Amino acid sequence: MLQNTKKFFIEIGSYQHNKYGNIVCGDSILFHKSVKEDRTIAVMSDGLGSGVKANVLSTMTASMALNFRIRREPIVRTVKTIMDTLPVDSVRNISYSTFTIVDIDSDGDAKIVEYDNPQLILIREGKVFKLETKDTIIQSKVSDNVADDRIIKISDVELQKEDRLIFFSDGVTQSGIGNMNMPFGWGNQVEDFIINILNENPFISARDLSRRIVKQAELNDILKPKDDTSCVVFYVREPRKLLICTGPPFTELKDEYLGEIVKNYNGKKIICGGTTSKIISRELNREIIVDLNNIVSPLPPSSKMEGIDLITEGIITLGSLVELLEQEIPKNLNAKGPDWDMFRMILDADIIDIIAGTKINIAHQDPTLPVELEIRRNVVKKLAAVLEDKYMKDVKLQFI
Amino acid sequence: MLNIRICVGTYCYITGGSDLVKVKDHLPEEIKEKVTFIGSACLGCEEDKQTAKPPYAKVGDVMIEDCTPEKLIDEIYLQLGIER
Repeated sequence: MLQNTKKFFIEIGSYQHNKYGNIVCGDSILFHKSVKEDRTIAVMSDGLGSGVKANVLSTMTASMALNFRIRREPIVRTVKTIMDTLPVDSVRNISYSTFTIVDIDSDGDAKIVEYDNPQLILIREGKVFKLETKDTIIQSKVSDNVADDRIIKISDVELQKEDRLIFFSDGVTQSGIGNMNMPFGWGNQVEDFIINILNENPFISARDLSRRIVKQAELNDILKPKDDTSCVVFYVREPRKLLICTGPPFTELKDEYLGEIVKNYNGKKIICGGTTSKIISRELNREIIVDLNNIVSPLPPSSKMEGIDLITEGIITLGSLVELLEQEIPKNLNAKGPDWDMFRMILDADIIDIIAGTKINIAHQDPTLPVELEIRRNVVKKLAAVLEDKYMKDVKLQFI
Repeated sequence: MLNIRICVGTYCYITGGSDLVKVKDHLPEEIKEKVTFIGSACLGCEEDKQTAKPPYAKVGDVMIEDCTPEKLIDEIYLQLGIER
């Protein structure tokens, strides 16, 4: 019912910063998570140059690489097609864009294909784990007498729990170039930086780690990055679970069942809804305390209950949360309010179990009420869809 | 201490409950120290859905339906026995 037998979960996080003065990023990062195949693929590409031109090149490269990989096309064919398709740069007279592809299947076998990006780093047990790479030369001819051979690095590795795969564009390794303490850029010192962070905080999320790396690269260039900077982190770990309960069950006979689920759930717990929290309070015999002193948003205040991480009002808060999730992911996550609290908890979770009660609140069926009062079932379905498609969470939705 | 319970359930909150919560910040000091504001997920209008008149608030044991800040303040003064 609420079980997940998966060996481990793969969290993906990424962060990007544009070259100083540019409004678009010349690096592209694309993810694909196939629930059916239980496969996770990420591609990062760095287009030649910067700005819009680089963005077009890297987007083309990344989307081609991703789609070829999804269809399990041979790697040589993939690279050749990309090279043949990319427009030839009028200044440099080559068609060029780097990429890194990471493809992880359900058993944790990762296939890594790298072309000209800084070497991917695998951190295992707090140390850099040396990957065995195989070089593959792909020949192609630009014209009759000019050969344009490309060397692709391919490696296969079996991932273990608590492994981290980290890869970034050369904006990271070349940051700070020309500075006193790093005349040739950040280079290999990135590895020490990452290991230091992991020593401080061994369970740092992929999202936070990628952000820290890019932010440091930005600092190396004294907040004026000389190149587009991107970083992607894979974190293989025990899944973090989150339960969201919203809405009273259709029949009162199920109240006890709902209480049991909440009581026995192994993970973080959120309850959305006044009536729902009352039912759980009654079933578990735990008091609800509403905090009236801490109202910081237009949404109804959140409350507390022993053993529950967050209790919010129901439908308005959920509606606001869905709106938040559908927007572009904000760079600053420190805003206050129950919807933001939920948003942050969701970002940190891997498996999200949603239990939605289907009882209709007759009081909400008054047409004079604001349109935000949607039917719970619809809001919950929207929530599940955005969490799966955009945030690649493992969502299990159950109506009771 | 006089307990004042304000419903912050969805229905009450959007029909004016949010204003009732703000009352606590606008009471004079001598009243403030005699009352405690407590939020509630639902004060019990659930049982009587057809004729529910939100928002609800409860001062001591007196339930006020269709409550406004004005009604709430009146009831607080009445129960404390202070002239407004």
